[in-house]
Amino acid sequence: MKVLLVDDEQKFVLMLAKRLELRGLQADVSFSGQNALERIERGERFDVAILDVKMPGIGGIELRRRMGLIDPRMKFVFLTGHGSNMDYTLGANEAEDYLPKPLKIDELIETLNRLAEGPQAVPEPGN
Amino acid sequence: MTQSPNSLLSSIWPQFSRNGEEHLNPYYTFQDYRQTWGMTIFILMTTALLPLIVMALIYYQLTETSINTEALLRTERLASNTRRAVTFFLEERLAALTFTVNEMGYDRLTRPGVLSEVLRNLKLGFGGLTDLSVMADNGTQVAYAGPFNLEGKDYSDQPWFMECQQHDACVSEIFSGYRDVPHIVVAVKSKRPDGHFFVLRATLETERLIQTLSAFKTGEHADIFLINRDGLLQTPSQFYADPSRHVSLSVPAYSDRTKAVLSSDRSGLPIIVGYAFIDTKIAPTGFILMVVKQKASMMKVWLDLRSDINWFLAISAASIAIVITLTSTVMVNRIFHADREKAKTMALAEQNCQLASIGQLAAGVAHEINNPLALINETAGYVKDLFLIKEQYKEDTELVEHIDTIIEAVERCGTITRQLLGFARRFDIQTQSIDLKEMVTDVINFHKKEAEYRNIAISVDIPETIPLIETDRGKLQQIILNLVNNAFQAINNGCILDIRAEMDGPEQVRLFIRDNGCGISEEHLGKVFEPFFTTKKEGQGTGLGLSITYGLVQKLHGNIAVQSKTGEGTTFVVTLPVQTKKEIQA
Repeated sequence: MKVLLVDDEQKFVLMLAKRLELRGLQADVSFSGQNALERIERGERFDVAILDVKMPGIGGIELRRRMGLIDPRMKFVFLTGHGSNMDYTLGANEAEDYLPKPLKIDELIETLNRLAEGPQAVPEPGN
Repeated sequence: MTQSPNSLLSSIWPQFSRNGEEHLNPYYTFQDYRQTWGMTIFILMTTALLPLIVMALIYYQLTETSINTEALLRTERLASNTRRAVTFFLEERLAALTFTVNEMGYDRLTRPGVLSEVLRNLKLGFGGLTDLSVMADNGTQVAYAGPFNLEGKDYSDQPWFMECQQHDACVSEIFSGYRDVPHIVVAVKSKRPDGHFFVLRATLETERLIQTLSAFKTGEHADIFLINRDGLLQTPSQFYADPSRHVSLSVPAYSDRTKAVLSSDRSGLPIIVGYAFIDTKIAPTGFILMVVKQKASMMKVWLDLRSDINWFLAISAASIAIVITLTSTVMVNRIFHADREKAKTMALAEQNCQLASIGQLAAGVAHEINNPLALINETAGYVKDLFLIKEQYKEDTELVEHIDTIIEAVERCGTITRQLLGFARRFDIQTQSIDLKEMVTDVINFHKKEAEYRNIAISVDIPETIPLIETDRGKLQQIILNLVNNAFQAINNGCILDIRAEMDGPEQVRLFIRDNGCGISEEHLGKVFEPFFTTKKEGQGTGLGLSITYGLVQKLHGNIAVQSKTGEGTTFVVTLPVQTKKEIQA
């Protein structure tokens, strides 16, 4: 599974990418919404995009809308520092997944597995 | 039962207790409920009792005047009737004497036995005569008929004889004379053929006259008597005689008509005096008829009625006073309690606002902490991943335990931040359809009494064309309440507050809240939405009201602007979307 991680917290997103790679996923990172959008516009394709909701410039919600227009097959998972509380509104599909920061890696893997349609198993590290 | 004296006291003197509730004071409609209560009672009492008392006084005045007039007329009528009776008594006897002298002449009357015959006839005809005598023009009595032997007596120095010399007839005052018995002398003068005059004189018993006067007496306190022109009593007076036998009242001035006047006796009691100067057609007299009545006895009926009316008035006034006091106490107490509830609600609303802002702060802090926590979590997680993957660490369970401790600590911090965010979530948006006009009216109702009290005119102009707004009821209510509160605090009594709404395109509605109060200076205008900014004295305002309002409007995806000019007033413009997008629930 090819995953794009977009968050302005650079160290966090790099660390998360490494952990996903350890679990056999192909994880790529962008540090801004603008950069991620440009990559999609250039033709790069990912199965799932993991987006931070609150970012300077293009936020996660807007980014999802614009990326979805370019690649309708792409799946999205949102990360938020607001925990389970959303004090913003989303004009997107309500079926989208949300995960609060700090993340539990198992929950993220489970979510990705579900999105990958079918039991495309993501292996435990070391297995 | 033991509480009843207290409850009775509180119905008369209510407490309006605000013990320990000083923080609610700014929200009360009236600041001094005791004064409001006192004013209410005073105004109601004045309105109810003043007309009653004025009407009673006017009634007293009119009735007393009419009864006085009636009493004067009655006394005058009595005096007039009595005068006629006394005059008739004297005239009748004078006429009989005149007839006798003219009919019989001097020679016949002086013959022995004739005068006795005449006296007998007169006694038969009129009564009241004691004796009869004929005087020569030198005052010597020449013939006498009667019980005393007074023949030859000289009457030339008697006042009545001297008067008779001047007039054709005379009536004496009541005097004792030679016989030492009170009597009246009536006499008529006639001429003899030789040109000399003679006088026929009769003595009248005073008893008959006194009886005549007594016949007219009505009531215990009425007194009828005769005096001469010097005030000497001619007939006995029951109440108004002094030791020198003079009347104790002042002698009235001469009048040819019967009169009645209001006066007072020696002890100051009001009396009504009717009087008449007695003159007969044949001869003048020195008598003055006095009819004296005590005013109190004549006014007794009225005084009794007035006493009844006074009692009725006093009982009515007391009942009205009790009812007004109790009603005012109940009403003002109810207003006070309703106001206290309102004040509590408003204080709670403001407290909620403060809590909401604390919630926002907590959410902000939690969000900021979550990012570094996430980094620690991922870093520790990555290290743990490495330990689990790399062969050389696989056996070192202690290292993995240390990492797990870090991850657990992060998790605990995450729980805390989630709880903080959960606290903020209580203030999240819950949308529903709102009728803006209805909501503004509801909020205005909160301030209706205060507006009436302070004479503030509130006009609401929200056209029917404004659609239902999809938004959070509580927050919108809070926004309007805060802005109206703010306006009420800014304006003086007698100012206006104008609330109107209009559409701003098809998707937004604009609400204007305008006052003509003191306005906001230009230097302060940019800071009004800043937290803790206030122009009020320390302790009177938190400076959070408009800042919270700003936050709430933002939450509803609207915006708020302010326009103001010092001395002219302030307008807050709140723009809200007609449809608020639905809150995302995680």
